[in-house]
Amino acid sequence: MAQYHEQLDSVFQALADPTRRAVLGRLGQGPASISDLARPFDMALPSFLKHIHYLEDSGLIQTRKDGRVRTCVIEKKPFAAVEAWLDTQRAIWEGRTDRLERYVMAEQEQEHKK
Amino acid sequence: MIRPPNPDLDLTISRIIKAPRSAVWRAWTEPRRFEQWWIPAPARCKVVAMELSPAGSFVTQISENGGAFMPHVSGCFLAVDSLERIVFTDSLLGGWRPSEQSFITAVITFKEHPSGTDYTAYAMHKNNADRKMHEEMGFYEGWGTVTEQLAKLVEQQA
Repeated sequence: MAQYHEQLDSVFQALADPTRRAVLGRLGQGPASISDLARPFDMALPSFLKHIHYLEDSGLIQTRKDGRVRTCVIEKKPFAAVEAWLDTQRAIWEGRTDRLERYVMAEQEQEHKK
Repeated sequence: MIRPPNPDLDLTISRIIKAPRSAVWRAWTEPRRFEQWWIPAPARCKVVAMELSPAGSFVTQISENGGAFMPHVSGCFLAVDSLERIVFTDSLLGGWRPSEQSFITAVITFKEHPSGTDYTAYAMHKNNADRKMHEEMGFYEGWGTVTEQLAKLVEQQA
């Protein structure tokens, strides 16, 4: 569960930035080279690369080098984690109900012993 | 009054607990007992307010890894029917004051059952993205739409 939350955190953090959102939006349409991705932005390449590295580190994209061109591809899995949020909520409530049941049962046992 | 569940936003957890209804009710409504199960160990729960009446404040805090207590639930009871039902939301605070954060309304019901108590938690969520998490991280409004759009784009590509 903790790992799952970490993954969600990194997805949401990556999405918190407009440049990164734009890059992800573009990559959603298909793979693109870093130079193509950088073109719409009024930003020095090193700054842009920081965003690319951020996205790569958080597992949202993968990059591969073909000759002199580095191509970025979106990674689908982390988005599944976002979509599965209702499952997370369900797990939280299941857990609460389990613990409530255990607590009440233990209390009952104590009382019967008296 | 309760409308049919929305499968995209709601969830229901039902359980037959083999204990008298009064015992389950007590575990829910007495702060020292409630603190024992609301949050999974080793994290600790502190009940700051549990005013069991409509408009009553419901505030819990969480301490993780022995750290300071941080906000967990900040909400308001909407209905409290002794031994039968508890309804709370985090879209309002005590005294029905509108809350900054709004994510959930929960309806907890306790029914007599031949084997003990028929316990049900029904949770209705505002939207299908964890808005709380979003606000904690200071995201701008509309991020949910962005996430949805991205998810759709990713799906189309697959």
